[in-house]
Amino acid sequence: MANFLKPFVNWVAKNYGDNIGKMLIHTGVIGWILSSAAQVVAIMINDKIPKKQKMYMIPQEIADAGVNIISFYLITQTFKGLGSKLVDTGRWLSGPVRKFLLDNNIQNVGKKGFDVLTQGHLTPEMMTKFKDFRSGMDVIFTTIGTVLSCNIVTPIVRNEIAANRQKKSIKTMEEPYNVVSNQSIFTQNPYMKRPTMDSFTGNSYARTSVYPNSSSLKI
Amino acid sequence: MTSLNVNRITTAARNVTATVAGAIPTVTINGERANKIITWIGKNISSPENRLILGVTALMSQPFIDLHNRKVDEETRKVSAARTVAKIIAGTLTGVLVRKGCIKAIDAFSMLPSQITSKTKWPWLRTLFTPDSAISGVLTDLTHHKNALGTIISLFVMTITNFAIDAPLTKFLTNKFVDKIKEKDAIKAEEAKLKQTTQQIIAQQKPQEVKEVARG
Repeated sequence: MANFLKPFVNWVAKNYGDNIGKMLIHTGVIGWILSSAAQVVAIMINDKIPKKQKMYMIPQEIADAGVNIISFYLITQTFKGLGSKLVDTGRWLSGPVRKFLLDNNIQNVGKKGFDVLTQGHLTPEMMTKFKDFRSGMDVIFTTIGTVLSCNIVTPIVRNEIAANRQKKSIKTMEEPYNVVSNQSIFTQNPYMKRPTMDSFTGNSYARTSVYPNSSSLKI
Repeated sequence: MTSLNVNRITTAARNVTATVAGAIPTVTINGERANKIITWIGKNISSPENRLILGVTALMSQPFIDLHNRKVDEETRKVSAARTVAKIIAGTLTGVLVRKGCIKAIDAFSMLPSQITSKTKWPWLRTLFTPDSAISGVLTDLTHHKNALGTIISLFVMTITNFAIDAPLTKFLTNKFVDKIKEKDAIKAEEAKLKQTTQQIIAQQKPQEVKEVARG
């Protein structure tokens, strides 16, 4: 049991042992993927949904998940990267570390390409202070990115997509009634104004789904 | 294909980061208290706290985004906002508790060899999640490792709780909120009807009063 788990445990320690921001982003992305996968499985195993509808709903669910995951990763990674860059180059530093670098006449602090860890010649005490500051800033920037992505950008994008989908569904739901009332058109070409499979399944989904936009159910 | 897309996203994110970082002024945080807070955040804020922050800020932003979505009708807006609030409460509650629980469980089985005494129960299990680097003495602080491992395990646990707790709780809370909204709407409609009826009665009474005054 222990031997079976050890490679995974060691891998976690190596990759996330001192990088909390990276862990938050990666587990966030895994969270979105698992959440969306669970929704897809829920559709797949739901006996009440006909097979033809499933063929439409599953790609739709995956598309929704794609928007969520890309938005989350892009925004959060950008913020985390910004925080790391500001601290690593020495642009943003704590007072004691800045004073140490100035006292030791370290050049190019805060300039592009400078790395405090490798070029700052920090003492063990200063190294601890720098790493503590770096870890704190990492969490702050990652959290800002997460909040911005999950609570502002994603809901706006999702609402836009859902509103367009709803509009399309309502429009196509009205179409069959027009066809019935206009027999001449119907007899000329029986397939002319019939709803497409996509619109039909879209309408059914909009009417029957308990959880529309369910991939937004983040875990 | 997927790795190509991920690379593109990462490169785009790096380019944005480099440009923005170059434009941000130099900052030195001198205050002792401010530095202590930053250090505390780095050591104590992990995924459960991050999820809690996400939930609280979501409650402050997402319902308003739904309520101001002009592309759908008013009723859809209200139901959508109600469902969003329900989803945030259910998701945050489960998310925080499951993450905390998993981290706590990992903590019990990630001991350093020096922490195991003769009084420790099941000593052979206590290092189940302890990495080799900690057993050999290279890694001395396991806080971040425990948080990371606990969070990863919690994600798989939450795949189950997502269906077992989140979804039914969201449905239950949504129905409660929607009922409240409908109740309020019904009261408002009744009040409006009453107001209209009163105005009609007043309007009918006025000509009679004028006639009576004219007769008098």
